[in-house]
Amino acid sequence: MREKLEKLGLELPLLPMTSVGSFPKPSHLLEARRKFAAGQLDAGELHRLEEQATREWVALQEEIGLDVFVDGEMYRGDMTTYFARNLEGFKISGLVRSYGNRYYRKPIIVGEVGWREPITVEWWKFTQGLTRKPVKGIVTGPYTMMDWSFNEHYQSRREACLALAEALHEEVKALAKAGAKIIQVDEPAISARPEELPEFAIEAMRMVTRGVDAYFISHICYGAFEFIYPGMLELPVDNFDLEMSNSELDLIELFREHPFSKDLSFGVVDVHSHIVEGVELVKKRIQRALEVLTPEQLWIDPDCGLKTRTREETVNKLKTIVKATQDTRAHLGGEMSRRTGK
Amino acid sequence: MEILTASAGSYPRIGSRPKEQRHRQAYAQWERGEISSEEFERVQDEVTREAIEEQVRAGLDVVTDGQVRWYDPVSHFTRKLGGCEIDGLLRFFDTNSYFRQPVVVGEVRWLEPVIKREFLFAKKISSAPVKPVMTGPYTLAKLSINRRGLGLAELVHEFAGAISQEVSELAKVGAKLIQIDEPAILKNQNEFGLLKSALEEVAASKGKTKLALYTYFGDAAPLYGKLVRLPIDVVGFDFTYSPGLPKVIARLGCEKELGLGLIDGRNTKLESEREVIEVLKLIAPNIGSKRLYLNPSCGLAEYLPREVAFRKLQNMVAIARKARELI
Repeated sequence: MREKLEKLGLELPLLPMTSVGSFPKPSHLLEARRKFAAGQLDAGELHRLEEQATREWVALQEEIGLDVFVDGEMYRGDMTTYFARNLEGFKISGLVRSYGNRYYRKPIIVGEVGWREPITVEWWKFTQGLTRKPVKGIVTGPYTMMDWSFNEHYQSRREACLALAEALHEEVKALAKAGAKIIQVDEPAISARPEELPEFAIEAMRMVTRGVDAYFISHICYGAFEFIYPGMLELPVDNFDLEMSNSELDLIELFREHPFSKDLSFGVVDVHSHIVEGVELVKKRIQRALEVLTPEQLWIDPDCGLKTRTREETVNKLKTIVKATQDTRAHLGGEMSRRTGK
Repeated sequence: MEILTASAGSYPRIGSRPKEQRHRQAYAQWERGEISSEEFERVQDEVTREAIEEQVRAGLDVVTDGQVRWYDPVSHFTRKLGGCEIDGLLRFFDTNSYFRQPVVVGEVRWLEPVIKREFLFAKKISSAPVKPVMTGPYTLAKLSINRRGLGLAELVHEFAGAISQEVSELAKVGAKLIQIDEPAILKNQNEFGLLKSALEEVAASKGKTKLALYTYFGDAAPLYGKLVRLPIDVVGFDFTYSPGLPKVIARLGCEKELGLGLIDGRNTKLESEREVIEVLKLIAPNIGSKRLYLNPSCGLAEYLPREVAFRKLQNMVAIARKARELI
């Protein structure tokens, strides 16, 4: 898809380096969010702190040397409730258990889902205003919004999903209109019920992306790919962002059987582990990806959002990615010039 | 026709009122080492009492202990069995909750009672009959990492031995009805033979106690005919994945008692009385046992806020009352 990137005016090096979406929030911001929730802090002050934290992450991404930036999601809590709070038709539930002692609030669809006004666009503009590197627009996809919400309004999962797709299409259009050239539609739940992929998940993604001139990435995690591959290649996006290190890279074997036909953002560091991977290990992972993909197809990033890691772990994991990718690029450069005789 | 209302498993531990945060707070304190395991256990006793009390107050005929002490439906059993270690978190079927995956490193053996103490505690404090719930041998084997290189059939057989022992322990101390959960079979229906031989083994140890088999998180309609021929007393179904199931049951009928998961345990929307009763009317004429249980499609702890769980059960009881008048 290098042609599409070029057509959009994006000049990216081979093996573009990026991150998935979220970064850890500084502790004073977490504290401010708690105060805001308790009514002890006004919205303006919280916003100021969110902007400050976003600036810091942009500066860090510059310093680390990534190619495609994210805003770090300093202003988002949970990836579904954030959009649910800003779309029409939702309420938020009481606490539901996830595992151990972890609880979360789940959106409830209580009426027609609708898009009122831009949700993420101001944050995208703010972040893009701080850097010359392209910043991804990031929205949570319709299938995941549907699967991770209660549904009290629509007759079926399909109906709910397609209504969400219409609403999110408006957000994606608004991002593109503001100038976002790379838009990521997160669908971590897409493998929840594999039979629904051909039934309506692909259709929903088509509705989200139709007619929008942007390079689309879809971030998918939590495994079970063997049930949706190669069917998932029908999703109308340019790039899949997959967690490869956490799945012990067994996807490579799937790709050997059935070639991967899109670009791939290849997760090379585990976001659930405190341990920072060594450069050599990450290089090996990239090498394995290059056994089944061309260098032109490959992007490099962490497995998933990094918000559960510390700032130091996050920075070190990203630095490892940069070092390993640069070494690989140098190696590839040498190989290519040998091949072309230059 | 007798229509009873039952719990299908777990009940939420915390609610939104401040006094309902106790379990979560005690759990955090226990994890930080601020309270002892005994103190945490006392809080779990109290929350178990509340879970039972709420089920009784909602009007259920058969309750559970709410599974308040379970980390998850898989590791709660394997951590007390020989031959199993506990690994990392894995998504529990297509839900948004997680379980710790067992790793089988040695022969799977029953070493000590797993849920007997929990059952006895619940039985002592409950005014309604308490149904102990266990995860079945096929599902335990299927969700484990098998490090021993033996076949799945052998592994299922070993788990069946352990679960049989637990069933006979529970039967000895007065369990009248024991529920075995086998959700994994619905996504692996070609392995029904493994489930069948495992449950035949478990059923052989139940004595006079009734055994219920519950499946959920998948479409059971294609397996219906086979499931109702197993040597068990009650068969439970999740109707939320099976639009075709009512017609299948109406056509094939059944001599057994059935557990009808017509109440969606994973959605906050309250069921319409009319729709549930329509299905009951369709099914009832062909049920030879003349006994149906109306229950949620699955346990509720990981899928609903506590307030909603309670309202769901209340609504279910109201529907059952109405159904008894009509059917």
